[in-house]
Amino acid sequence: MSVDESMGKAVKDFLAEAEEILDQLSLDLVALSDCADGGECNPDLVNSVFRAAHSLKGLAGMFGFSEIAELGHHLENLLDALRLGRVELDQGVVSALFAATELLGTLVRNAGLPEGEPADLSGVMCSINSCLSREPNKGQGSPLTRLNLPERVLSSMTEYEEHRLLENVKKGRRIYSIHVSLLLSSFDSELMELTEQLKQVGEVISTLPSASGGLEAGIDFEILFGSELGTAELSALVEREQLSVARLGAEETLVAPLPEDDHHPQLPTEGSVTAKSMSRTVRVDIGKLDMLMNIVGELVLSHSMISEVAARMRRDGYLVPAQELGKAAKGLEKKLSELQKGVMEIRMIPVGQLFEKMSRIVRKISREQGKKVELRLFGADTELDKLIIEDISDPVMHIVRNAIDHGIETPERRVALGKDEKGTITLSSFQKGNHVVIQVDDDGGGIDVERVKQKARELGVLGFGEDVGEREALEFIFLPGFSTSLEVSEISGRGVGMDVVRTNIAALSGMVDLENRPGEGTRVTITLPITLAIIKALIISTAGRTYALPITSVLESILVEKGEIRTIERKEVIQLREATLPLLRLSEFFRLSGAGESAESFYVVVVGIAEKRLGLVVDELIGQQDIVIKSIGETFAGFKGISGAADLGDQRTILVLDVGSVIGEATRGSS
Amino acid sequence: MRSMLVSTIDALERFTIVEAASGFEALRLLPREQVDLIITDINMPDINGLELISYVRNNPNYQQIPLFIVSTESGDKDLEKGLALGANEYLVKPFDPQKLQELICKYLD
Repeated sequence: MSVDESMGKAVKDFLAEAEEILDQLSLDLVALSDCADGGECNPDLVNSVFRAAHSLKGLAGMFGFSEIAELGHHLENLLDALRLGRVELDQGVVSALFAATELLGTLVRNAGLPEGEPADLSGVMCSINSCLSREPNKGQGSPLTRLNLPERVLSSMTEYEEHRLLENVKKGRRIYSIHVSLLLSSFDSELMELTEQLKQVGEVISTLPSASGGLEAGIDFEILFGSELGTAELSALVEREQLSVARLGAEETLVAPLPEDDHHPQLPTEGSVTAKSMSRTVRVDIGKLDMLMNIVGELVLSHSMISEVAARMRRDGYLVPAQELGKAAKGLEKKLSELQKGVMEIRMIPVGQLFEKMSRIVRKISREQGKKVELRLFGADTELDKLIIEDISDPVMHIVRNAIDHGIETPERRVALGKDEKGTITLSSFQKGNHVVIQVDDDGGGIDVERVKQKARELGVLGFGEDVGEREALEFIFLPGFSTSLEVSEISGRGVGMDVVRTNIAALSGMVDLENRPGEGTRVTITLPITLAIIKALIISTAGRTYALPITSVLESILVEKGEIRTIERKEVIQLREATLPLLRLSEFFRLSGAGESAESFYVVVVGIAEKRLGLVVDELIGQQDIVIKSIGETFAGFKGISGAADLGDQRTILVLDVGSVIGEATRGSS
Repeated sequence: MRSMLVSTIDALERFTIVEAASGFEALRLLPREQVDLIITDINMPDINGLELISYVRNNPNYQQIPLFIVSTESGDKDLEKGLALGANEYLVKPFDPQKLQELICKYLD
């Protein structure tokens, strides 16, 4: 990425985030000005505005927009004073806040322009300062001492929290200390639930955690809470195990207490405002998306069934209802595919998140190895299914580690070779049709093919008199237990690497390829489908068995005459336009009997992943269909050529071909 | 601003950084990670930084871990309280990266 490009993107990122903050800020200010009329302001709301100004200031500072940062800073000061009760909220303050926000909006919009007019901040700054310079309305002796707050609680309260406590006391609320013991593993959700419950009837002032008495897995919290409720009422409301409620400073009447028979505790009217959150994004457990995806999958199957019923009705002569049903099914199909697309998009995240992890690893390992490595990233915004990104993290990490361990030379050696002493690893990603490609390039020494062969002979996978070409030799690297490294380093070089990498990527219907430039480096290319959950498949049959082929790897289907087949090195091939296409009879691959071998013509499905092509000889092309791939479990994991099973919607279950591994097996030779 | 902090520490090329988005997350991370140094803000969404410091300093498992406050805090009062609770150092944002690096090295070497 060039400096210019990254700057442009940075400004865009800034604008997007700043505008979002400003939108929320304006909304909150409107609510705040309503409060100002009532003379009572909701602390959560003031906090929300304060945080917005604070984030905007930080953001602008980071991106070098000094005017915005400066104005943001003044705004923050005013809000802080408001928050801490040093300044009373009145319409004067509100109008200063509005003016500042409006000016911020203008400044932010100008930041996106090449040459923005320098703005005049002085007027707004002046009105902010005049609000700030009003005498603070403090001074009365602190009634807090009378509360007999535990020293630990008092010592860890911020100035703001003290102010809130004081406000609660002034309002005549009772102050409680609620003590609760929770499990460290689940405390946050339980505490959140309790806090939400409490907020309905009062204000949570502070939450102090402490190590649970001797319990390793436990954590205690002491919540300072102000409310109009009586002790008994509050205790009943929040009753749960390991929780106790104590009223603080109860011996003395602090301010005028509310009558005990006060039937309805006043619910905070600002309740609706507190529910607002700054962020407009939602974090969702991927499990929920999986569930949604499964439901969409089942719906797709139901839709297939309906279409089939419609077709059957038409055949049986019920033309009118068949037509109506067919129409409804079409409408359903359209909406279903929109739904499917929508759910799929939610699952997509940028590859950049993966790259980020790698940059940490590169730094760590190069340091450990005493090598100098620069990491370059391209195409970080390419999107991939979240689960795929998770699943390829380890394989990619391994490849990167290998590149530093075995690829990049030591600085001394690089200098001796006339290279820059700093090695380069390039991670790039781009979309290619229905696939996403991730490449790891290094400019190290490449793979020593002779050494690979030597090792293969030692391990007995290659005969001593035998020789193979470079491509075949590189394939050895993917064998279990293969390692050419002379010294075994901590992380790679134990030979558990590349075979696991290949297996993991194959499990995602992906492929790994190695490209070797001796003396100049290695390129590892991973090709992955964009998403896994639901795929379009071509349903074929051979020797009476039905299989599904992911449509993403099908290039075309052709009808071939028997006479067009030639044999090269005991393998069947056909001439397809300019290229020679190797053929594979699926019936032979799966050792099925009863294939129609004597037929004069037959179908060939041309499949391809990355640069590799293969023609699959099949008996029948049944049609295209959406399928949901389900795992066939550990027991069948060793079966070559199968990536899973799918339900066809008519109670039939068929196997889904793993095109990558079929191509791999076929090109490796018939073993 | 937090990323500024991370990149400053990252530049030392010696440490692994574990980020907690909130005080609660920090509480959950502590027993799981082998932490050598804690850096906290004062204003956080759930518990405040002072409460975190109090927790750390009163827990025998973490008592000895050096702890810095990095904050924009308005009132110096909060920072003073933090030091009183046992924070080792404090930095006011925008902080000087070099100062932070020096402090880290002082406590971790």
